[in-house]
Amino acid sequence: MNTLLISLATVSDIKESWWMYTIGIFVTLFIIGGALFFGMHAYRQAKKLEMDRETLKKTVISSISFSILPSIGIFIGVITMAGLLGIPLPWIRLSVLGALHYELMALSFASEGITLTSMTIENFITIAFVMTIAIMWGSLFTLIFFKKYQQKVISKATANGGKGFGKILFDAFFIGMISAYIGDAVAKMMDYQVRVIENGAYLLDINGDYVMVDRSTVVPILVMASAMSAMAFFEWLITKKKVKWLENFALSFSMLFAMTVAVLLGIGGIY
Amino acid sequence: MEKTFSYNDIMHRYGRIFTIFGMTVMLIVPTLIMVITGVAPDWNKVIIGVAMLSIIYLPGGIVEMATYSPILGTSATYLAFITGNLVNLKIPCVMNARAIVKTEIGTPENEVVSTLSVVASTLTTVGIMSMGIILLIPLRPILSAEVLQPAFNWVVSALFGALGYKYFKGNLKIVAVPLLLMVVLAFIMPGFVIGNITIVIMVGAIISVLISKLLYDKKLI
Repeated sequence: MNTLLISLATVSDIKESWWMYTIGIFVTLFIIGGALFFGMHAYRQAKKLEMDRETLKKTVISSISFSILPSIGIFIGVITMAGLLGIPLPWIRLSVLGALHYELMALSFASEGITLTSMTIENFITIAFVMTIAIMWGSLFTLIFFKKYQQKVISKATANGGKGFGKILFDAFFIGMISAYIGDAVAKMMDYQVRVIENGAYLLDINGDYVMVDRSTVVPILVMASAMSAMAFFEWLITKKKVKWLENFALSFSMLFAMTVAVLLGIGGIY
Repeated sequence: MEKTFSYNDIMHRYGRIFTIFGMTVMLIVPTLIMVITGVAPDWNKVIIGVAMLSIIYLPGGIVEMATYSPILGTSATYLAFITGNLVNLKIPCVMNARAIVKTEIGTPENEVVSTLSVVASTLTTVGIMSMGIILLIPLRPILSAEVLQPAFNWVVSALFGALGYKYFKGNLKIVAVPLLLMVVLAFIMPGFVIGNITIVIMVGAIISVLISKLLYDKKLI
């Protein structure tokens, strides 16, 4: 009877239905449970290693303060996709192994030619399957290969408890990563193309190709420079002026400052 | 004689179980929608869509596991590879926590720090997402306001800018070459850099590691 009622419902009813929200709550509880499980084991291990409480407190506070702004950004991804898919599915997808650019790409592959008004229940389910399956490779490789990889490769690179080249290796890796993002910001100063998003999905033309618009912007490089300057200022306050409490928040405050700069540039007509 | 397991072995076992559960939960979602509505997906479209995305995400999965797992450590790798948002959140979050409490990768203390960092980050994201859903009606117009969009469009630039200062400051000798090469690459092939950031990160990281190895061998760092 219930199934019959649901099958008579429209896709709009389904994507915002109470049971979709229930599935979202279930997924959220699974993630919370998993995180607390690993957190509890790490805490017990910290006690065994006689690590001081201050180190653990600093780790947790700095990580929470660091994660707030990017998490709001992730939630905006939910709102971006909500136009086409409703709230629960994007919420679920961005809670487990999701990333906005991936979901949008999956959406455009699975929903070719579908608009908000023409979407059927079959389309909605097809989109949900495509979004879920193709992102699982990283988890699958972690499941199968990570332990062996750690034993054979990582333990050699990080031998001697982080002394020698192993100590430098990962800082160097991260520096390469940051350099790549600076390169990305510089590239955006030149002419580049962005995919048009409509109703929470990449827009495709009649040939099934992405609809692109030409852009160039100095905003990301200015945002990066602002964040760097703010960080330099906060570091100065921490080291020279001994404002110790800032240590856990310097990165978040620097990001907030740089994001404010982006907003102000936008108000000034620079996008 | 009974075999004793190290903390690492135990966390690998739990991590694998968690990953299996996590992947099952992920797959249960579309399956449940299918069962509840009684409507099957268009399997042809599913296969084509998954195949096309896998061209990018299958090699991406290998590269991500190989490059990010050493930074994350055992427990945090399993947790982060289910909760996602690695490059834009978990990895920088762990690097930041590590720099603040000054632990070295590969040590037991760093394993604890990176796990707690990913746990705190995951719970923060879950908390904000849940609050966002609960407060959606008042929040939606604010968060989708045109004037605020630049802030969230460039949140990753803000993040790597702030971290950039932290990491560049103490490593100027290592920074010069990868940074210069990335900027030159951006000028020559801007489209490639923007469209293939995962590959560009790998290139930048390899160059940076090679330069640092060279400097280390010559005792310059």
